[in-house]
Amino acid sequence: MEMLKVDNVAVSVGEKVVLKNVSISVDRNEVLFLLGPNGAGKSTLLRALVGFPGYNVVSGKIYFEGEDITGVPMETRVAKGLAIAHQIPPKLLGVRVRQLLEALCRRNKCDVHEIANDLGILHLLDREFGKGFSGGELKRVEIATLLAQKPKLALIDEPDSGVDVDSIEIIAKAIKKVIEVSPYRSAIIVTHSALISRYIEPTKVCILMSGTVKICNGKELIEEVFRYGFRELV
Amino acid sequence: MGLENWFKEVEARAREGLNKPSLYGVDIDVKPFLEVREGRPILDESRVKEVGVDLGAKAIYTQIDQAYFKYLSRIPGVEVMRIEDFLESKPDEAKEYVWKLVDPGKDKYTAVAALKGRGGYFIRVKKNTKVEEPIMACLFMSIGGLQAPHNVVIVEKGAEATVYTGCTIAPEVIGLHVGISEFYVEENAVLRFVMVHSWNRVSHVRPRTAVFVKSGGKYISYYVNLSRVKTLQTYPVVYLNDNAYTYLASIVLGVEDSDIDVGNAVYLEGENSVAEIVSRSISRDSTRIVARASIVAKNGRGHIDCRGLMLSDRAVIKTIPELQALTPNAILTHEASIGRLAEDEINYLISKGFTKEEAIAILLRGFVSVEVKGLPQKVREYIETIEKLTVEKSM
Repeated sequence: MEMLKVDNVAVSVGEKVVLKNVSISVDRNEVLFLLGPNGAGKSTLLRALVGFPGYNVVSGKIYFEGEDITGVPMETRVAKGLAIAHQIPPKLLGVRVRQLLEALCRRNKCDVHEIANDLGILHLLDREFGKGFSGGELKRVEIATLLAQKPKLALIDEPDSGVDVDSIEIIAKAIKKVIEVSPYRSAIIVTHSALISRYIEPTKVCILMSGTVKICNGKELIEEVFRYGFRELV
Repeated sequence: MGLENWFKEVEARAREGLNKPSLYGVDIDVKPFLEVREGRPILDESRVKEVGVDLGAKAIYTQIDQAYFKYLSRIPGVEVMRIEDFLESKPDEAKEYVWKLVDPGKDKYTAVAALKGRGGYFIRVKKNTKVEEPIMACLFMSIGGLQAPHNVVIVEKGAEATVYTGCTIAPEVIGLHVGISEFYVEENAVLRFVMVHSWNRVSHVRPRTAVFVKSGGKYISYYVNLSRVKTLQTYPVVYLNDNAYTYLASIVLGVEDSDIDVGNAVYLEGENSVAEIVSRSISRDSTRIVARASIVAKNGRGHIDCRGLMLSDRAVIKTIPELQALTPNAILTHEASIGRLAEDEINYLISKGFTKEEAIAILLRGFVSVEVKGLPQKVREYIETIEKLTVEKSM
């Protein structure tokens, strides 16, 4: 049985239909890379999957652990074990990184210091969430929240964009840990540059372009993307 | 001029101010509050606890209405007494400090305080004495009418202390509180002043505060209003000498139909002085809040950070940041914003597994959390408790 099944889904944001006829699935032990050029709708898909308000499924169905979650609010989906790492998390005035991680770890029984150490963000714990962070710091803190959530299925949006090589390596290690501690050992990772593939090997790669999934294949698809680019490939 | 003559002058000035409305805030008729109220002053310990006062503190001043006064200090190097006792025991010194920074004729509130006020604390922290635990003051109104204490704090050269004042009132008691505060921070001394207000829906509050900070001194103020009040207006003024520093934070919660006008003014008079004014206003129900901030500088640096959070369609927040440079040597900046809680931020936190209520509480806590540097751990704990309480009352 697929752990996550997206069946012929169309998603609108405001008046605009951004995704149409999207069908993908994630099985146990499957790391799905979702590739595509900027503006293809990758982030929209992840947000629609987690049920982020404003990202409306206008047709099709989403199943998680065999249950139809299409109309289920985000709060419930997250409680069921879905979690998203956002591409650009917001700045939270006055909210310290430590405060947020402590709140998550109280609930999910994790160690803030260990997570912060893993992600090299010990020096950011007492800073305001997102304020004055570099691109790499922002990503590392965001992945730290994901690690603290201990999700069943992580939806990770562009972990490799706008970050230096050192940060990517740290982030990749943390993502591997997220996957290791999840019961299904699966994840969906969105990337447009596929840099993260140097550190994490996908089991399946899908290419999303112009709001729809054009092709899904094995990890060799990444090499083809690097060689031919998205447009040539599809 | 002796103390007696000085007080004759204070009285004369006060009489001139009796009919003067305050420059800011709602004008109220003070006469009904001047009638003597019958009743026995009783301390409501639960109300006092809410404003964070520890009645078992080693140094504490307690005043109920204008009738009951108690004080003690078991901290070496710290003197605490009632202001009348200071005037009586050290008249020559008192005349150099009492009504020297606040003008008794400034408005009708300073005038009634000068003419009808009773009590208030005198606190002296002796030279080079460094005190970690807060010196507490509790000003409670139980039978209403007027409460106008006069507070004087002197932190002598190189000394360091925190004065924590909680002011509150019994429910449904109609009262006017006019606290006059004159603080003197001497060379290289540090005064941290925390004031927590929790009033009721029929009370009027007009504190009048002025602070003089000598060379190298630091004055750090943290003010919170966390409950209902009919009208509240205050505008403390801080004067900074060379290399002096001040950080003034105001966290103001308005609920029901409160009319609140609060602010701070700083005069950077010396070289290399630095001032930061931070205000956070939260407006619920049909509250009206005006948040003022002013820095006037001959030299040095100043920054104002005013933020307002609207939690109701019927509330109003107005921020008035003012900067005035008197020479090109002054560097002054400000930032101000007013808005509601951002939906995107709430949704972000929900996506992290928090409920909507929890997400709002986290954001509110963030909004009221201002970074006050250099606070002793004990004081930080008090402030954290107050922050939590502010969030609870905002929800």
